[in-house]
Amino acid sequence: MSSIIRKDPRKNWILRNRLHPLHQQMLVAEGAGNNAVVRGPSGLIRKNPHNIGFIGPNGIKRIDRLGGSGTVVAAGQRGEAVDTRLPLVQISNPESWIVVVPDLAGGRLTSHDRDVLGQARQLAAANPACAVVALVFGDLSENLADDSNGLALAGVDRLLHFSGDDWNGYCPEQELAAMLAVHRQLLPQHWLFPDTHLSGNDRALRLATRLEERPAMHAWQIRDGRVTCRAGSERNDVTRSLPKVVALLAECAMPVDDSRHEVLPMALPELPGVLARIQDAGAVAVDPNQIAMAEAGFILSAGNGIHDWEQFHEAARVLGATEGASRVAVDDGFMPRFRQVGATGTWVTARVYVAVGISGAVQHLQGIGACEKVIAINTDAGCDMVKRADLSVIGDSQEILAALIEQVKALRQPAASEGGRHHVA
Amino acid sequence: MLNAALPWLLAGFLIVLGAGAVRRISLWRAGRPAPVDLIAGLMAMPRRYLVDLHHVVDRDKAMSNTHVATAGGFVASMALILLVHGFGVDNVWLARALLLTTVVMFAGAVLVFRRRLNPPSRLSKGPWMRLPKSLLVFAATFFIVTLPAAGILPDGFGSGILAFVLLAGIVAGLGEMLLGMGWAGPMKHAFAGALHLAFHRRPERFGGGRSTGLKLLDLDTAGDKTLGVAKPADFTWNQLLGFDACVQCGRCEAMCPAFAAGQPLNPKKLIQDMVVGLAGGTDANYAGSPYPGKEVGKAKGSAIEVITEGLVSQETLWACTTCRACVEECPMMIEHVDAIVDMRRFLTLEKGTTPGKGSETLQNLIATDNPHGNDPASRTYWAADQNLPVMADVKEADVLFWVSDGAFDMRSQRILRAFVKIMKTAKVNFAVLGDEERDCGDLARRLGDDATFQSLARRNIEVLKKYRFKRIVTTDPHAFHVLKNEYPDLGGSYEVLHHTRFINELVEQGRLQLNARTGGTVTYHDPCYLGRYNGEYDAPRAVLNAMGIQLAEMERSGFRSRCCGGGGGAPITDIPGERRIADMRMDDIRATGAEVVAVGCQQCTAMLEGVVEPRPEVQDIAEMVAAQLVDVAEPATAREVA
Amino acid sequence: MSLDKSLKVRVLVSVGQHPKSGRERRADQDSRALELALGMPGFSVGLLHAGSESPALREYLGMGVKAIDVLKQPSSADVVPALVQALRNDSPDLVLCGTRAETGEASGMTPYRVANALGWPLVPAVVSISRGSDGTYEVLQALPRGQRRLLKVRTPFVATVDPAAAEARQSAFGPAQRGQLQAVAVASVADPAANDLEFSPARKRPKRIAAARKATTAAERFKAATVKSASKGGQVLVKETAAEKASAILNLLVAEGVIAVDSPS
Ligand SMILES: Cc1cc2nc3c(=O)[nH]c(=O)nc-3n(C[C@H](O)[C@H](O)[C@H](O)COP(=O)(O)OP(=O)(O)OC[C@H]3O[C@@H](n4cnc5c(N)ncnc54)[C@H](O)[C@@H]3O)c2cc1C
Ligand code: SF4
Ligand code: SF4
Repeated sequence: MSSIIRKDPRKNWILRNRLHPLHQQMLVAEGAGNNAVVRGPSGLIRKNPHNIGFIGPNGIKRIDRLGGSGTVVAAGQRGEAVDTRLPLVQISNPESWIVVVPDLAGGRLTSHDRDVLGQARQLAAANPACAVVALVFGDLSENLADDSNGLALAGVDRLLHFSGDDWNGYCPEQELAAMLAVHRQLLPQHWLFPDTHLSGNDRALRLATRLEERPAMHAWQIRDGRVTCRAGSERNDVTRSLPKVVALLAECAMPVDDSRHEVLPMALPELPGVLARIQDAGAVAVDPNQIAMAEAGFILSAGNGIHDWEQFHEAARVLGATEGASRVAVDDGFMPRFRQVGATGTWVTARVYVAVGISGAVQHLQGIGACEKVIAINTDAGCDMVKRADLSVIGDSQEILAALIEQVKALRQPAASEGGRHHVA
Repeated sequence: MLNAALPWLLAGFLIVLGAGAVRRISLWRAGRPAPVDLIAGLMAMPRRYLVDLHHVVDRDKAMSNTHVATAGGFVASMALILLVHGFGVDNVWLARALLLTTVVMFAGAVLVFRRRLNPPSRLSKGPWMRLPKSLLVFAATFFIVTLPAAGILPDGFGSGILAFVLLAGIVAGLGEMLLGMGWAGPMKHAFAGALHLAFHRRPERFGGGRSTGLKLLDLDTAGDKTLGVAKPADFTWNQLLGFDACVQCGRCEAMCPAFAAGQPLNPKKLIQDMVVGLAGGTDANYAGSPYPGKEVGKAKGSAIEVITEGLVSQETLWACTTCRACVEECPMMIEHVDAIVDMRRFLTLEKGTTPGKGSETLQNLIATDNPHGNDPASRTYWAADQNLPVMADVKEADVLFWVSDGAFDMRSQRILRAFVKIMKTAKVNFAVLGDEERDCGDLARRLGDDATFQSLARRNIEVLKKYRFKRIVTTDPHAFHVLKNEYPDLGGSYEVLHHTRFINELVEQGRLQLNARTGGTVTYHDPCYLGRYNGEYDAPRAVLNAMGIQLAEMERSGFRSRCCGGGGGAPITDIPGERRIADMRMDDIRATGAEVVAVGCQQCTAMLEGVVEPRPEVQDIAEMVAAQLVDVAEPATAREVA
Repeated sequence: MSLDKSLKVRVLVSVGQHPKSGRERRADQDSRALELALGMPGFSVGLLHAGSESPALREYLGMGVKAIDVLKQPSSADVVPALVQALRNDSPDLVLCGTRAETGEASGMTPYRVANALGWPLVPAVVSISRGSDGTYEVLQALPRGQRRLLKVRTPFVATVDPAAAEARQSAFGPAQRGQLQAVAVASVADPAANDLEFSPARKRPKRIAAARKATTAAERFKAATVKSASKGGQVLVKETAAEKASAILNLLVAEGVIAVDSPS
């Protein structure tokens, strides 16, 4: 650190925020883990009383009396620290192969990818000379590209990486040609895919069709050479012997967490010229407010407890959320009818649903049954929405939205000016 | 001169009236055939007119008297005119009688005239504003014309200028009364109305009876037969006749909850549009309130054009809650709900355009036998802790408790549990069908899907056949109505009771003892399907009384109860209006100062609880009773349950 | 757009099942495919089903199609050869299918195998198809969470229709009864691998408990901890200041990944 004390508002914000997911990491990055130096608004050093101890794997807070040398805290550090801790698994002369084609959404390993890699490792474990190959299409994120630890920790022995602009869009025919070339070269035991909409699913089906294999799709358990898949309408399971091509559901297996792997790049096979009959004309810009309610991932929903509609719309804009509404907000003419969530409106599936000033009538709750996380902003701590919510803040919607807008803006600004990017897991 | 001309005039008018009547009849005959006993109907007509119809009209005493004077005066006058002036019967007393009847008619017409000075908005204007004047002219003219015959004025009276004036009066009066009757003037209602009463599609309604179940739809699609009513000619002929009987009094409009909520429905306009449709033309001459939010003058149609393509918008048909307030109120006993459902049948079964969540709901009913698509094998989950006897096990019980789809809804389950507690306390020998029960079909049927209704009903009847029970009791007035009034057409006839009546019986038999309820004012909301559909107004009130409750009645209660907005699939089609019907009903409730509104229907509960707080609390009578039960340790007599 | 009447779209439809009751019905995705086809101007729409003449097929007829060609196949058959044969005879310009069947194994292979056998490209997860200016078709593909991608393809091709495509119109009883199930006798090929399939009622998958997972980073561990605490009944903030409440919300939004912390590049 230079001798000039610079304030980084974003960093400070995270440091002040115990609930921020990067809080611990930031503390570690700041130097001393548990003994992190935090500067208050005046520039004075503050001891963070909440930072005594850490949260253990079981979610219980522990106080570490070893002065920060505890392994778990160190695990937050990247690079060297990890390497020294976990055993490196090396397979020098692989005899057989399991190929995994991870989704790498945005160039990052998804947790689904890790699960599939974990499954691959379990299958490979039967034979010490069996290597797990990651076949990667398109560019990796800076993180993964700079530092192969990401892939190493996920269980990748070898890497086949088709990168460059040609591979970044939707090019299923070219990918198929590459998979077939890899297949000819390695004759892998298995091809594993995360069974994801349009990526893994599409690739698995294309490959299986050309290999004239009957793939195991929607697989969720592999045991004793048999694979169990979810069959139609999720009403049945179908179990069969494990085929060559398998597309796996998330949480099919535990991800690798106790070893490192080599991630040795392999030479790419020659590809025949491919006539692409499907041309990718690019993503279509979709305004969050144009997204069909039923598909939206993040909804900010307004009810009878909203009194400043300008502010509500601003909040949705700043947060990048799709707007929703209770029937009362619609009836009163503040929101269009197609925004109504609930029994007589849309049944939404958002990952996060923020209900602002909505009491939580059954007819409304029916519409948000499929939402993963519900946040309630309400003056009435006893209302049904608070009972349903995962996080409730009791107070005036106007005040809380104002604070939220301010904080989101503050969070965005420094990040933008630094040009720094960091990714949320 | 006048005397010489009069018989010819009369004959001429009567011939034109006859021609008009023939034409009108041919318009009605464009409709589909209907099983009607013509002779019996005609024989019964006077009684239906004088007793049954008068009964309805009599709810408005002033109007009733007015009508008796005017109509009675007119009918008598017309008969006497024919004798005195038509056939020239020279009898002073006959003529004097005629004088008297014209005076009576004149008096009636004056009352009509006075009412028309500042008419309420529900009344149509246009030609109807002319009618009282025509009546006055008719009565006055014939009074004067008859004076000589009555020996009051010399025979020569009425010549020269006066003769022309009188002639003009006669032509105007007879024109309105006779030509108008045959040729679609306001007086058409007398002609069509009389025949409508004779050939009514629900003769059971006369003589104090009740007929509210919808008629079965023939689902045969062979030979391109359209299901439901697409065009006016698809109505049965007596339905068309019924539409023609409308007097545009607007009593239906005044009662219609959808109209009041600003939804695009006005039952009076709807009937008038049917009249436009059957005769062909546009609604440009309609002079009453429009469908809220819709301009008058744009609609046009004919007997063979599809109604929803230009005459009536689909939304109008879907806004109806089938509450029957219009039917209950109509002095001409017109059947609006039948007509609306007939047209919905076409939209759902032929066009597939049930709006809102209609399509989804019907698909669920088809695939899961319940409207929300719940697993049909989870019907008894609500009663997991209730240890209910299931028919499949016991085969026989005194009471079959029809649970209804409330089984899937958390709020309704509280009502169901309360009722189970009551039956257990009274040691009723009851059982449920469990997973063998299906939706009763009410919703599908009101949404126009008679195919799904019939399929559900048939399968329910099959199941019911397997078991022995004395009566069916249900907490759901919709199921109550359908089981009681609509299953018989498919071969299932049962004694069905609403839980309020059953509880009342238990109380009267001393098998239930209730503590007096303390606490705030209570009012009672009559559910449409319990009250107007089934005439059950007393039992719920008796039960409330048994708990020592003095009801603060709403202005619109009993047969005039305002719908909660929950019937007829209206919450599913959800046609937008300016207000919510439930909000208006809650205002009615608030006006009584009640803290609690007692209901007897889970649908009403849901609708009224959908009104934003603060508002009076909504409780089903079963819940109120369950809270007041006296725990009888040992029942006085362990009588077998009837 | 010029209407070329000779364009033909064939929709492959199957018998679905209601997820709760298991009762036969029109399959949701297949009926969306039909909806898409019915909304394409200038195309004549034909339906093809390989299997038995189930009454549930009438629900497709109820959407306003006069007939379905039913290629009679026993339930043990591999239906792809029959479909391919019929499509070769018929040579449509476009074939639409659902993404995944509602019964059986439901692997989603059928459209891929059909496309492969016909030698046509397969475009998955389609929500709309319109004719472009240069003889190609512009196809919108559904990405997760309402995002869309534009593709350009020439006919003939096979497309699978995404569940995010427009909902199918209501099926009306009258037309459903009047429409025809036209049985077509075709040879059938037995499905060789079917014997290996062992069906059983779906077992509940154990939900992975976030905290049970060995966390490798502080952030993960932290997330594990928050996920756990959030899943039991929900946290309620009452006394905190508005700013604290707002930041609690923001933290959850960030943790759930719904708000992008990095500036969009
Ligand atoms: C058949 C039927 C179908 C229905 N379908 C739907 C449907 O699809 N969708 C739907 O939403 N509803 C539906 N409803 C209506 C539903 O019953 C409720 O009336 C409605 O959801 C209530 O909306 P609300 O929560 O916005 O209003 P309210 O119930 O009035 O709740 C407002 C909430 O805001 C809080 N609040 C007030 N001021 C503030 C403030 N300053 N800051 C923060 N909080 C504040 C209050 O504490 C309260 O909890 C239906 C009803 C029926 C009968
Ligand atoms: S039944 Fe009720 S809602 Fe329907 S038209 Fe009559 S009064 Fe109006
Ligand atoms: S339908 Fe009946 S109540 Fe309505 S205006 Fe006509 S006569 Fe009056």
